Amino acid sequence: MKALTANRLIDGEVVFWREGQWVERFADAQLFDDDAAAQEAEAHGKNQPTVVIDAYLIDLVDADGIWAPLSYRERIRALGPTNHQHHGKQAEGGEVVEALLHASGAARSSGRVNLIKRK
Amino acid sequence: MYRYDAIDKELVADRSAEFREQVTRRLAGEITEDQFKPLRLMNGLYLQLHAYMLRVAIPYGSLNSTQMRKLAWIARTYDKGYGHFTTRTNLQFHWIRLADTPDILDHLASVDMHAIQTSGNCIRNVTADPYAGATAEEVDDPRVWAEAMRQWSTLHPEFSFLPRKFKIAVTAAPKDRTAAKVHDIGLVLKRARDGSLGFEVIVGGGLGRTPHVGPTVREFLPANRLFSYLEAVLRVYNRHGRRDNIYKARIKILVAALGAEEFKRQVEAEWEQIGPSGDLPDSELARIRGAFAMPNLDVAVNRSEIFEQAKAADPAFARFVRNNVKPHKRPGYAIVDISLKAIGETPGDATADQMDVVADLAERFGQDDIRVTHEQNLVLPHVKLDDLPVVFAELQRAGLATPNINLVTDIIACPGLDYCALANARAIPIAQQIAETFRDQERAELVGELKIKISGCINACGHHHVGHIGILGVDKKGEEFYQLTLGGSGAEDAAVGQILGPALPYNRVAEAVDILVDVYLRERQADERFLDTFRRTGVTPFKEAVYATAD
Repeated sequence: MKALTANRLIDGEVVFWREGQWVERFADAQLFDDDAAAQEAEAHGKNQPTVVIDAYLIDLVDADGIWAPLSYRERIRALGPTNHQHHGKQAEGGEVVEALLHASGAARSSGRVNLIKRK
Repeated sequence: MYRYDAIDKELVADRSAEFREQVTRRLAGEITEDQFKPLRLMNGLYLQLHAYMLRVAIPYGSLNSTQMRKLAWIARTYDKGYGHFTTRTNLQFHWIRLADTPDILDHLASVDMHAIQTSGNCIRNVTADPYAGATAEEVDDPRVWAEAMRQWSTLHPEFSFLPRKFKIAVTAAPKDRTAAKVHDIGLVLKRARDGSLGFEVIVGGGLGRTPHVGPTVREFLPANRLFSYLEAVLRVYNRHGRRDNIYKARIKILVAALGAEEFKRQVEAEWEQIGPSGDLPDSELARIRGAFAMPNLDVAVNRSEIFEQAKAADPAFARFVRNNVKPHKRPGYAIVDISLKAIGETPGDATADQMDVVADLAERFGQDDIRVTHEQNLVLPHVKLDDLPVVFAELQRAGLATPNINLVTDIIACPGLDYCALANARAIPIAQQIAETFRDQERAELVGELKIKISGCINACGHHHVGHIGILGVDKKGEEFYQLTLGGSGAEDAAVGQILGPALPYNRVAEAVDILVDVYLRERQADERFLDTFRRTGVTPFKEAVYATAD
């Protein structure tokens, strides 16, 4: 399972793809179990240079019945910094945030290598 | 303090206006991200994990209360009420919107601040001794030279596209508080027997992927020849530094490849060509020096009854004095270190309210002078002993009186994976766990000076190579692991730490530090610091203790 993520150009906010739109919460992200559909969405995302930067696909893992980003880096992006738990998206709480906070299973996200080259 | 003149002000205002136009063009799609990125980086704006990060320059770590209040206001207005002071004595805002950045730069410009030279392959913000102008140890005021270097290096056309970034530190005291030996150029001011001033010039130090303690290429460079010599060093680097491989592009690689002797030969040949015409005119140096005249301190007596009585009556104040107050060159005054390492907090973070408190104290009791240290703390360099009890009480109320300077809980940590797009692992929570482990102040003081430095990746913003205990976050098959090094130092006895053994998982690091400290307390002789004991015993007893229980 995969999701498509990026940072929004105007403010740097972490966003996720959902049916042609960018949404702010991972809980609202579209989940792809089909690689071809995921890549098609990624191509769309990369084609919006005035909307987002660095669109890339992330791998997901089942965390107690809820899909969560596999890598801890992506979980931190989806949640916010671990030193200020009232900062970032985690502040809103909710079932998916809880699941992400307790998820484990860690690996580099597939989009990361290219991202580092760009920074 | 140096105050911006009309040229400085115009330059900063122009730069801000220029960036506003660049942002407009980027948002309109007239320039691509690849075209825009170097432009935003030249204005200190990075894209990190959760938002943009704006790195504001604090030249040689020196600012006044108006500037500090403006930083607090920006933190409240455009960020989440925080700022993060860095190991290069700058300030980072971690929750910045691209669209707000031109306005923020305008607000900074209104108090003579900016983000120039905080990124890009240029000469970066110069680091100077945070006790400059206040410590009796110094032979001259290094801020004079740091300010002259700022004016010389800002938008220097020849040195704006170097092979890689370039960092200079300057100190005038034998006790090095700038990490001079691990900078691209470290300058140590000295006074010769005949009274003349000169610089020891150290070139090719650095941290990151390939740490080097820089060799001294000149034991004593007459001070008035500094700028021609800097130009010669930069020129040799600009000409021969590698541009084909980002990991081999820093001057430390060139100096190591050529050897210090050959490097020096090339520099001095170039220096000969440049001649004294490349130096700063005496009149200009005198103008700058005038800006750093000793503030008009009251004539005070060496012994302050108010101070002595407070120390006798309040053990907390006595403890603060013991750890955070340093001697001043003038009788009746002191240097006050403000720790940004409260137990459980993020190292280097200050809230907007705390920044305002520091600004008020500087204005009321500190000659309107504030310094930032490379160890991520603040300094009030000129406080009258009579005023110290009040200053302490105000700091205490603001959560700024942690009495832990140079102790085990005074930990350097980069933002790490909680914020930084380059990080492999978190640094802040590791620092918090270690600080909690040594929350008992009695024990922390028993341990004495122990510098722990943590980086979340090999780029080493947290200076881990030169920590007495260094901690490097690594990504091991997708999990956070931490490589410990021992015996490093960024001070005058600079050394690169030695790897302890296999990396440890996230939840074993604080425990391992605790074990290392126990070994030190068992092994230490007389008044040895952790570093001294390690240098005497070597790594073996430490290694055995940590890995005996880490299986």
